[in-house]
Amino acid sequence: MRVEYINPFVEASYNILKEVLGSEVVRGELYLKSTSTPVLGVAALVGLAGDVEGRVLFDMTKETAIGIASLMNGENLTTMDDLAKATIQELANMITAQAVTKLHDLGFKFDLTPPALFTGENMEVSSSSVEALIVPMKLSCGKIEINVAIRERN
Amino acid sequence: MSSAAGSLVLDRAEQEQKEGAERSTLVDFKMVTFSLGGKDYGIDIMKVKEIAKFSNFTYVPNSYPYVRGVYNLRGDIISILDLRILFHLPVPKDGPLTNTENGLILRLEENVLGVVVDSIDKVIGISSKDIQPPHPIFGDINIKYIQGVVENGGRLYIILNAESICAREEGARKGDLPLPPGDPGYQHEEAAPAAAGYVQSPAGGAEPERDFIRDTLKTFRGFYVTPLNEEWFLRRFSEWKDLRQREGADIQLKAVEDAETYLSNFYSADTGRFWNENLAVQYSRVLGESGGKIVNAWNVGCGRGYESYSLAAILSKKYSNRIIKLWANDNDLIAISTAANLLFNEADIPEYLKLYVVTGKNGTGFQTDFKNKIFFEYHDAMHSNTLPDLDIIVARDMLSFLSPENQRKLLTGFYEKLKPTGVLVLGDNERPLDSSHWEPIQNARSSYKKS
Repeated sequence: MRVEYINPFVEASYNILKEVLGSEVVRGELYLKSTSTPVLGVAALVGLAGDVEGRVLFDMTKETAIGIASLMNGENLTTMDDLAKATIQELANMITAQAVTKLHDLGFKFDLTPPALFTGENMEVSSSSVEALIVPMKLSCGKIEINVAIRERN
Repeated sequence: MSSAAGSLVLDRAEQEQKEGAERSTLVDFKMVTFSLGGKDYGIDIMKVKEIAKFSNFTYVPNSYPYVRGVYNLRGDIISILDLRILFHLPVPKDGPLTNTENGLILRLEENVLGVVVDSIDKVIGISSKDIQPPHPIFGDINIKYIQGVVENGGRLYIILNAESICAREEGARKGDLPLPPGDPGYQHEEAAPAAAGYVQSPAGGAEPERDFIRDTLKTFRGFYVTPLNEEWFLRRFSEWKDLRQREGADIQLKAVEDAETYLSNFYSADTGRFWNENLAVQYSRVLGESGGKIVNAWNVGCGRGYESYSLAAILSKKYSNRIIKLWANDNDLIAISTAANLLFNEADIPEYLKLYVVTGKNGTGFQTDFKNKIFFEYHDAMHSNTLPDLDIIVARDMLSFLSPENQRKLLTGFYEKLKPTGVLVLGDNERPLDSSHWEPIQNARSSYKKS
């Protein structure tokens, strides 16, 4: 993954999460992963196209997702209902959009697809031909792993 | 600091005294010393319950040769081992069955055990920092019994690990350890001088010392000695040995810094900076005259990017009418994150790169057009990649820091990715593992083509 792409994603994730949750966000150590990734329970996926192809995956447990949705809506949600799902999708959209905007300023042209949300047990995402950058974020209500896999079009 | 192996052959009495004075302030480890087969040994005093003279063992039939029997210690029955037999050292000629034997009673985690030795010497206080780890040259006496080696008053003491001696006894009882032929009088007379000799003359044990350095290079710096770099390693070893002996320093690598010093002349010319004019000319000679509109190059382990920019400049000059695409990877995020926008002092760059320099508001860097030829990627070379077929791969000094298995795997990957006319450039002190696949390019600097 090109080094120019890393910072926009890290910064956008940090900024947006901090803004919408209004609480402290701690970024963990970045690392690379090549094998298929187990998904914690709730995964929001945003596709990227343009100069590159790839996707950004926001991965968290159901409890974390409900916690985030509660904070963002200012009410206490207890189940993964439509509102909670829409909230998580919106969060994924906001982060990816801000990253793409930053990348655009640097001269890279990306388009993004509307977010898709997956929920379930024992899920796994495989894109073994592309190595993924993992950006772990620790929040007051759990952790989110932002999993960015992008490759150049040859 | 005093050293275990190297200093033995040298007369260092004077230094000894000086160090002795220093050391006495740092005593935090006391050991009971004793002799076995004429050599000095020690055991942590905390493990020693008492010093005893044994007599009247009760022989236990069908036990192992080094088990002398059981003994009644004021009402407690303890087993008695003979360390001389256990370590294959000569037992004094009057034989193992004399009436009174010197011994130690050890208090271990699980039980109390007596050991028979030749004679008890004294208690010595040392600083635990001075204890050197066991060394592979202690061939005959199994290394697991040895906690370390320490020098004191001009004598070398081998510190035995009381717990593991006891563990041996238990293991042996279960019958899961291979043992010497089971006659009770078994004594390995010939082996004893040899074993002691190893300890005393490191010069005779060059192999194990070398192996030890191999191991510590791996531990401290993740550097793997394989046929890839063995030629350099052996050359460096003899040079290192001379150097350290002249300086009176230990041959062994005891810290990351030692390993770094050992590796100091491993790295290729101009590592971590722009290639100088001369080096650039040498590398550009390697490049072939292949066709095609695009030149694809891969710089594996590019670090902060100096190497990549140098390579890009060489390629641009050589193939002026073709498109250059250089992928530069490193798995060190901190190093590579500055590579894409590298800034430098204009005075520091060689002539052939000056063509591409521009000075902006942040400082002096490279022109955008030039930078666009290079894709810096945060990538682990062991993961799969989507690179096209390549004309040149530059992987200087990075394979040596991979496990032997990964070295092989990555070299195979290089072979598959290279075009038939492609060139592989390795570090100055590296050569491909499998020479049947790679043919050195004549008069070129550590460069290979497919054969």
